[in-house]
Amino acid sequence: MKIAAFLPELLRHLFKKPATIDYPFEKLEVPKDFRGTPILKPELCISCRACVRDCPAEAIEILTENEAEKKFKMIIHNDRCVHCAQCVESCPTDAMFMNQEFELATFDRHTLKASYVYVRATVKPKVPERNKVPEGGKTVTPAAPQTPQLPQPPETK
Amino acid sequence: MAVLKTLLYLFIYPGFLFLLVYSTFCEWVDRKLYARFQNRIGPLHTGRSGILQPIADFIKLLAKEDIVPDAADKGMFRALPIFGLAIVMTAIMYLPLWHYDVSRIGFNSFPGDLIVVLYLLSLPTLVFFLAGWHSTNFFSTIGAARVLTMLFGYEVPLFLAVLSPAILAGSWRLAEIAQFYQQHPLLLLPNIIGFAVALICLQAKLERTPFDIPHAETEIVGGIFTEYSGKKLAMFRLMADIELVVGSGLIAAVFLGGFPGGLFGGFVYFIIKTLAVIFLLSLMRAVTGRIRVDQVVSFAWRYLAPLSVLQLLIVILIKGLFL
Amino acid sequence: MEFTVPIGPQHPALKEPISLRMTFEGEVIKKADVRLGYNHRGMEKLAEEKTFIQNLYLTERICGICSHSHTTCFAQGVEKLMEIEAPRRGLYIRTLTAELERVHSHLLWLGVAGHEAGFDTFFMYTWRDREVVMDILEALSGNRVHYSINTIGGVRRDIDEVQRKKILDSLGLLIKRTNYYTGIGVNEPTFVARIAGVGKLTRETGIALCAVGPTIRASGVVQDVRKDDPYAVYAELPFDVCTADSCDVLGRVVVRVKELLESYKMIEYLLKNLPAGPISVKAPRKAKENEVVSRYEAPRGENMHYIKSNGSDKPERLKVRAPTLANYPATLEMLKEGFIADIPLIFAAIDPCICCAERTVQMVDARSGEEKILTLAELRRYSIDYYKKNPIRKEAEWPF
Repeated sequence: MKIAAFLPELLRHLFKKPATIDYPFEKLEVPKDFRGTPILKPELCISCRACVRDCPAEAIEILTENEAEKKFKMIIHNDRCVHCAQCVESCPTDAMFMNQEFELATFDRHTLKASYVYVRATVKPKVPERNKVPEGGKTVTPAAPQTPQLPQPPETK
Repeated sequence: MAVLKTLLYLFIYPGFLFLLVYSTFCEWVDRKLYARFQNRIGPLHTGRSGILQPIADFIKLLAKEDIVPDAADKGMFRALPIFGLAIVMTAIMYLPLWHYDVSRIGFNSFPGDLIVVLYLLSLPTLVFFLAGWHSTNFFSTIGAARVLTMLFGYEVPLFLAVLSPAILAGSWRLAEIAQFYQQHPLLLLPNIIGFAVALICLQAKLERTPFDIPHAETEIVGGIFTEYSGKKLAMFRLMADIELVVGSGLIAAVFLGGFPGGLFGGFVYFIIKTLAVIFLLSLMRAVTGRIRVDQVVSFAWRYLAPLSVLQLLIVILIKGLFL
Repeated sequence: MEFTVPIGPQHPALKEPISLRMTFEGEVIKKADVRLGYNHRGMEKLAEEKTFIQNLYLTERICGICSHSHTTCFAQGVEKLMEIEAPRRGLYIRTLTAELERVHSHLLWLGVAGHEAGFDTFFMYTWRDREVVMDILEALSGNRVHYSINTIGGVRRDIDEVQRKKILDSLGLLIKRTNYYTGIGVNEPTFVARIAGVGKLTRETGIALCAVGPTIRASGVVQDVRKDDPYAVYAELPFDVCTADSCDVLGRVVVRVKELLESYKMIEYLLKNLPAGPISVKAPRKAKENEVVSRYEAPRGENMHYIKSNGSDKPERLKVRAPTLANYPATLEMLKEGFIADIPLIFAAIDPCICCAERTVQMVDARSGEEKILTLAELRRYSIDYYKKNPIRKEAEWPF
């Protein structure tokens, strides 16, 4: 039983830099593939509504704007989103991806809703790669979503 | 002139104003050291490097709602914080800070003032007990009972430990004790054991870890301070800070050789020596965990009391054989 | 003279609301009684309204610290219902996340135990070292707390070479710090004085009251779902069940520290022997009519999910038996004849995850103070009768 067993370590800490990051003046980098907010790539969406079905928080809505022109409107309710990224997985054409933003606090929850108006794309849905058993037994990792240069989506209340 | 000097002594330095400023500074030092020992930053953004944080806390508490419970004894409940503050502020008057012309016996320096300071430092414990008792809350009552139980443990070793250097110096007057050790600095060394015992007992008196049982947060909510809020709580916390300064000042005066050099020299020495004592107290606070109240009493009587008696023996031997 | 005092639901010693009513005589506890339900969220009912894939995320949010245990337990059960088997690489990644979660949970608990004992320095150090694990989990799964790495049929994310190397390197630092805490933290006299001999639970009492997890393993009982009923890859993973003999809080600290060291060895084995292959199989949407019980060794003990399916894509019934719920009767036993000062430590020693255990509701009549516990059938009858008398307004609008 040693008296003051931590003592040398305590005294050493007087000269070490503190382990605290002085947020919000200093910020840490989030790793790649961090699950931030969901963003749509409208040119790939085929309005199959797989994301609407699978979202656990009912955070995605797809409404028909114009049946003849095949115009749809997707509203992503970021205030309901739980950042699980199931929409990214369920999408058969890789039209959803997660960006790195997590500082979403705001005073009015209605400013967090993002909406996209687009014409339905004619992209063929592909089989998700990880379910294929490849020849040779090599591991296939799903492609990491790249961050495209998108115009800012119009925000509606 | 004498009247002016007395008023200055009582209200500016080392009285009211100096105590207010210096005790908040010492709380900042304590919190910063405690944080650095734990690899954290401590207060940072209020003022330069967080130095205004204790004052900010005090002002915030003053602005909060002040609730007096229905079942509590209202007179006592309201008066106790003020009593406590008055007691600890009086105790600093006797520390040999400013003019101590040893030949003159004044209102702030007379034979026996060491005993007066020790007595004044025991009174806050009674104030805490009464505060807890008069809150009529179950948790406060337990806190009050624990405060008194701890008093049985640490009071005797503290008295013995502080009185030993006084016996060696041959006087019960703080000014004379400090002067004696300034003339014979080597005689500070036989008092090392007493110094260690007095530090531990001061930690218990100030109710800091490992002895912060009376207001243990995780066990009895707030302990004696459960029902206090607003201005009264602000005064209790200020009282704890001032007690820290007075206690370390007492230990510095008796064990570390006092504060020589008149007005400015004394001021500088006071700051340096009390900060050294506060460093050791913060270290003790960071290194240990909280112990139970029955363990405090058994630890005090099994280790601290015999050590302080040993210290007394050493002092008597030295005085008898060499002086 | 006896008096009854409530500890909770609001108390600094408790991180979550629970009401413990204690009867004291002086400083000694004579009787303790527990009241649950302050954190009840209706998860089991909500699970009947959501599909299996949505329920993965719902069960994850039953708890924050042991989130992976709930989602794995659920995913295992549903995989059994759908009669599919996850591929080996997926199971390895699932087990890797499970062990990393165990590490982070035990480091968290060590800090909380230190804080309850007033030893704040220990708390700050263990939580600082826990950040290493949190960063690993964030790089692995995309989030620090709710990893969401499971899907029905396997896992969602793969681990690449860079991440593998990084985890193996961080393990060295973690092992060094854990050994330091073992050597020093359990030797610090003020800390040990608080936890030795406190909260005694003998072997027979523990088994009779069905305690689980490190609580019972500290009384010398070798009980671990990973060995008794292996799931995922535990059948082929070499490890020992950690026990201690002292039956008190010190024993539980020792068991958890030993489990930390075992987990590090397991993580190293998993990373070095990661097989190649796919990480998941496609799961059907509907499950045939069947019922299944799925067990899992969470950091706190044995976690059980009972899932009943009826041929649609939503479960008919989900019942969760979290480990803390099993430990409550044992806690009440441990609290008897203890001191007030020991309440936080005894309660913290079972590693309470109160939000996991919110499964019963007690009805108290506000006027007469009479209490009764209703069965589901009685509650259903009561609510049907109530709404017959007070019909719901049909014009109510979803406010958002």
